[in-house]
Amino acid sequence: MTQLDRLAERVDAARAATEARGETFYQGPSRSHLAMFPPKERWDDWVELDSKAWPQRVEKRFMLVPTTCFNCESACGLLAYVDKDTLQVRKFEGNPESPGSRGRNCAKGPAVQNQITDPDRILHPMRRVGERGAGQWERISWDEALDELALRIRAAITTDRHNEVMYHVGRPGEDGFTERVLAAWGVDGHNSHTNVCSSGGRTGFQFWCGIDRPSPDHANARTILLISSHLETGHYFNPHAQRIIDAKHAGAKVIVMDVRLSNTATHATEWLAPYPGTEPAILLSIVRQIVRDGAYDREYVRRWWNWQQYLAAEHPDRPRTFEAFEEVLRDLYAEYTFEMASAESGVSVAQIRAVHDAVVEAGPRLAVHSWRSAAAGNEGGWQVSRTLFMLCALMGAIAVPGGTYPNAWNKFVARPIHLPHHPAAWNELTYPLEYPIAQNELSFLLPHFVEEGRGILDVYFTRVYNPVWTNPDGFSWIEMLTDHRKVGLHAALTPTWNETAYFADLVLPMGLSSERHDITSYEQYDAQWIAFRQPVLRAARERLGETITDTRQVNPGEVWEENEFWIELSWRIDPDGSLGIRQYFESKARPGEKLGVDEYYGWMFENSVPGLPETAAAEGMTPLEYMRRYGSFEIQKGIGPLHESTVDPAQYATDKRVDEFGRVYSRDPAPAAQNLAPTGAPDPDAEGRRPVGVEIDGEVKRGFPTPSGLLEFYSRTLVDWGWGEHAIPTYIRSHVHPSRMEEGQVPLISTFRLVTQIHTRSANSKWLDELSHSNPLWIHPTHAATLGVITGDLVRVETELGYFVVKAWVTEGIRPGVVACSHHMGRWRLAGHDHTHRLNSTTVALERDGSRWTMRPEQAHGPFESSDPDTSRIWWTDVGVHQNMTFGVHPDPVSGMHCWHQAVRVVRAQDGDRAGDVHVDTDRSRAVYREWLGRTRNARIVSPNGERRPRWLIRPLKPTADAFRIDGPVGRRA
Amino acid sequence: MTDLRTPLPFAGATTDADRPVRMAKIIDQERCIGCHACTTACKSENEVPLGVSRTYVKSVDVGLFPEVRRSFQVTRCNQCVDAPCVAACPTAAMFTREDGIVDFDKQACIGCKACIAACPYDAIFINPEDHSAEKCNFCAHRIDMNLEPACVVVCPVEAIFVGDLNDADSKVAHMVGREPVQVRRPEKDTKPKLYYRGAHQATLDPLAAQRPTGDIFAWAMQAPEDGHTINSGHEPGWPGSSSAAAVIAYDVGHSVPWDWRVGLYTWTKSIAAGVYPVVALLITLGVLDAGSDLWTLATPVLAGAFLALTGAVLIWDLEHPTRFFYILTRPQWRSWLAKGAVILSLYAAVLAAHFLAGVVLRGDAGEGLHWLALLGVPAGIMTGVYTAFLFAQAKARDLWQNPLLPPHLAVQAVMAGAAALVPVALWLEPDVVDALAWVVAIASAVHLLMILGEVTLPHPTAHARTAAHNLTHGRFALPFRAGVVLGAVGLLAPVAPVLALPAALAALAGLWAFEHAYVQAGQSVPLA
Repeated sequence: MTQLDRLAERVDAARAATEARGETFYQGPSRSHLAMFPPKERWDDWVELDSKAWPQRVEKRFMLVPTTCFNCESACGLLAYVDKDTLQVRKFEGNPESPGSRGRNCAKGPAVQNQITDPDRILHPMRRVGERGAGQWERISWDEALDELALRIRAAITTDRHNEVMYHVGRPGEDGFTERVLAAWGVDGHNSHTNVCSSGGRTGFQFWCGIDRPSPDHANARTILLISSHLETGHYFNPHAQRIIDAKHAGAKVIVMDVRLSNTATHATEWLAPYPGTEPAILLSIVRQIVRDGAYDREYVRRWWNWQQYLAAEHPDRPRTFEAFEEVLRDLYAEYTFEMASAESGVSVAQIRAVHDAVVEAGPRLAVHSWRSAAAGNEGGWQVSRTLFMLCALMGAIAVPGGTYPNAWNKFVARPIHLPHHPAAWNELTYPLEYPIAQNELSFLLPHFVEEGRGILDVYFTRVYNPVWTNPDGFSWIEMLTDHRKVGLHAALTPTWNETAYFADLVLPMGLSSERHDITSYEQYDAQWIAFRQPVLRAARERLGETITDTRQVNPGEVWEENEFWIELSWRIDPDGSLGIRQYFESKARPGEKLGVDEYYGWMFENSVPGLPETAAAEGMTPLEYMRRYGSFEIQKGIGPLHESTVDPAQYATDKRVDEFGRVYSRDPAPAAQNLAPTGAPDPDAEGRRPVGVEIDGEVKRGFPTPSGLLEFYSRTLVDWGWGEHAIPTYIRSHVHPSRMEEGQVPLISTFRLVTQIHTRSANSKWLDELSHSNPLWIHPTHAATLGVITGDLVRVETELGYFVVKAWVTEGIRPGVVACSHHMGRWRLAGHDHTHRLNSTTVALERDGSRWTMRPEQAHGPFESSDPDTSRIWWTDVGVHQNMTFGVHPDPVSGMHCWHQAVRVVRAQDGDRAGDVHVDTDRSRAVYREWLGRTRNARIVSPNGERRPRWLIRPLKPTADAFRIDGPVGRRA
Repeated sequence: MTDLRTPLPFAGATTDADRPVRMAKIIDQERCIGCHACTTACKSENEVPLGVSRTYVKSVDVGLFPEVRRSFQVTRCNQCVDAPCVAACPTAAMFTREDGIVDFDKQACIGCKACIAACPYDAIFINPEDHSAEKCNFCAHRIDMNLEPACVVVCPVEAIFVGDLNDADSKVAHMVGREPVQVRRPEKDTKPKLYYRGAHQATLDPLAAQRPTGDIFAWAMQAPEDGHTINSGHEPGWPGSSSAAAVIAYDVGHSVPWDWRVGLYTWTKSIAAGVYPVVALLITLGVLDAGSDLWTLATPVLAGAFLALTGAVLIWDLEHPTRFFYILTRPQWRSWLAKGAVILSLYAAVLAAHFLAGVVLRGDAGEGLHWLALLGVPAGIMTGVYTAFLFAQAKARDLWQNPLLPPHLAVQAVMAGAAALVPVALWLEPDVVDALAWVVAIASAVHLLMILGEVTLPHPTAHARTAAHNLTHGRFALPFRAGVVLGAVGLLAPVAPVLALPAALAALAGLWAFEHAYVQAGQSVPLA
């Protein structure tokens, strides 16, 4: 018997003992008798020894209630330890029943405890008194807030100004609830943060497969190719990190491209630090070599690429055979030699070759991921994910074990109790004509659109979103938000005071991770699962037999949750149901009565989540009780290549038509979709037949949700909408490419995240703030030497709009000639305000002289007295600089993504400069806006069909067909 | 047919049933992604305040672009088999459990910080809320509930795990037995049970990486170095112990356990310790009459006063001053703080008896006091010298690991005692001032020679060298140099009668300055 066998035996004994008591044994990583978590059978009454009283054995009793973390988008499971004596949460651990996070967390999981006890959190609805932004507030009731909002929204709706109502969301952290609220109101008012985040990354995936996110199966990969730092700050940080490290220790190679040294780069088999924006050149050089060597999966490419469509359009003279296509393919990327890629990127030929070798070795077990990073930094960044996914497309590494899945197949969005129609008017403030194929809303251009008179915002909701701080060009946001002619009423839905809430009219406190209901589902491995976020004290008190009808009954102060808020607000907008809105917020069980969250989720879990009712019944629970108790449910594991599934012939029995490239259409209606995960929605054919699949080698396969049903190497959409030069995956030289910069300019990487913070969301955690609170400028020693600065010296970073002053961090961990400054930091508050958020922010003075703005820190960050004794122990004084203020807007003309990288000059600080100083001229902001607007191709000119946007592309809250017409309704005053 | 029941020779010899449990921990730096989840999970589980940590992740950037990587070290208590903190703790507040976990009892802690001084890993701190010493204790309260420690549970990549080294089946024993694991500072003879797999020398060795210039790390500030806090790494410009380019990217500051009061305590103690033996010496040499008030009354009063002051400073330095008596009611005899308390008490008792006899018998006390001096002189010398053993228990404070420290402290006591006696003698016995001046001068000369040896002899370790550098050229150069110069003035005491008092006072002031510099420099080298 080997050692490992004996170990297994002993662990089995511990497990057996627990299981003999009828309890669940959660095996821990030590593989010993120690369990990771209390058995779920004891979650109602868990007795624990108090760590503070130790070594005295003082027992404390807890109720363990699951919820979902609301810091980043990973939606990791949390288990709240609710003290049965005080009915307060003592701590958060992971939830072992969560299939994505598997009971583990990052630093932000335990830190939720700080957030719910943050001494500066907002506890009551507040209304501005005095000037907007002057910081004087009065406490009001929820009724007052709701009535004020309802009155204004109702007026907008009844006077056909639907689209003067806008909901602007940061991380949604939920699947679809709020979108459907807007749909019920008939408002095309969804505005997201996505174009300052992931649009570039999404665009590349979408043009390939009609689904805009990757779902790499890291755990089974042989090679993992990551653009950026997915181990520590990826979109699905903790769940992916677990699987990446497991794969690495099982022998997988990890390739990381990142300009700066990240924790992920540290674990890389090969770390490439390319000059920013040159990633597609490297990827295409690998493509070229694979194609030349014939090292790709020929059969896969033959079956699944739309090469026929490409040949027909671009090489009509050639025979339409796969061999002809292969010949063309060999020539297409001929210029992308390793040497060319090396010269372009600064990465050695040997290293690029090593990456190539790893990709070839991997075969179909190639897991790739690109999300923000290079795709979010560079003009043309959307080609990063497009050329990256091309490697998977070549190797047949799509939706196979160890490969990369389209996310919609590893995600499950359940059908809700009501499904309102989508709005009938098009919002030109979010999807303007200049950006017909933008991936998401042109959110960060909003102040400029409003400035140009394209429309106003009568009611503007910001929801867990802080554009003044997060977006580029924050002073333009302040100018917009303080102008009553542009913004009628600004309501900030937020748990904490922030730079945007300071400029609101209403500040409405919303719950944190453990204080609200949401449903989420994320692609973290090859499965479909849902997670339930819930107010844990509500669930706990219900277990104790209480009846809770409103989450405010359990939340601190009058903190609410959005689900109940939207239901209540919608009722007040349409109290008698005459607007047709109320029906979507009514109970089904008790017609005419208000829908409650219990019914909303109870109905969903009962009717829309396959397998959940049966699993719950086996434990003697209703589906809602099951989800309240365990927080997660895995619907199906091992989804596999859905595109390969054969379509039931009954689906194309009527009037089947197959086009010349194999697309199969029919007039048979689509079967009702169980899973509402967003995908592309290919158009019907000219006669109105529905696309049902694609014929491959005589079989009708489900295919991909692209117009062709195939993987689109060649995008007809891009050709039709004026971007024919990018019809196939190409390399676009970034706006920070050396050839496009002036003498003395260097690229500034401003997008890099730190492992312990999450944008502006985590500053209300003292533990996270203690761990990371500053953002010095990373600069290579050779560069620093030319400036004569060493670590700690102040430098000025001059951007298009102005400059900021920051300390230098002289490091070998960055490419020479590139500088980087992390975000998250530089949070500020204004002097003289009644309420501010004091943790990790500095008091600043804002001065305005026409279009010239100056922000100067007035006092260093430091200790303060509060209800938490810890705030008097704050020892750090430097909370960084708010660099985003100095960035002009850079919308990519295709994807609409804000191209974050900045061409800057770094100089020594001048006399009188202080760390954190920011100076900006918003006249320059407008000039930069107009310069980038000039690169667009307006739908009025390029639209092939008189419409605003290709209908098949994913769009939140996609309006009705009529609204797509360029001359269609826009839902606002003329 | 083979009899399957035949036992093999020594079968069962390798089973672990009768071996004691030895709980150990492994941190797999090959898996660690430096995410700090363990840090916040620990803060949450153990309610650790801001400014202090039971565990944290030190990060060091090693190499030159593009061959550069960030190395992590999850830094915490090493759970030593021979735990210096346990040995140094005077009240057994730090203790080793039967399963090998080094645990602590805050109710027993008097806050003397001897454990912090003793820990070669700087893993112990005083909790600002309850003022007691605290560190990673393996989440012993969870172990006793059959639960994994909080850091093990939270770790996204399963880089931390625990188990019994004596259980051949445990994953911990498996890895320690098969993998090239490392421990921090094995030369300190502590036998850590915290093993690292795949850690870099640049993180394991606190002097390998450079501390950045300025006041920042890559994403956080360095703890402000205000004299009470030190940061890891070698100073820019001072050679580190690694030839690789290594810069600390993130770390936390550590509090210096013993502040200026400890330098003051060694100074007052030197005076108290020296007075009695010096006067006894004068009597033995026939310079002073045994019936003199200087011997019968002034000596116990002067020594007693400084001994009382010493005790007061010691108690003042405790985080729990009201618990000072625990040191006598629940002593832990391996601790030199506990032993020192007995020595100080014994000396105090002798002085009290001497004083009582002096008051009652005045000049007639002579004979009896001779006999008492047989006890008092060694007690005085032990009072002066025991601190060397106390300092030696601080195993990683290399400056203090000096075999000449006991004689040096004895010499300091003689010098301080003689110098303190000069003004008293000027009042009571002017005739012995000259002799005292000679004692001051000779002791000062020996003291200076020993300092000369200390600072000129090459140091055997990088830590001792760094401490000596900080002493003579760094942060403590001013008090050190003042101490040397003033000590040299002490040499002038016998030159002319008028110089005796100012030279003696200079020697005393110089000793205080030197003691302060020496105590602080000894703690100025980062250990974590």
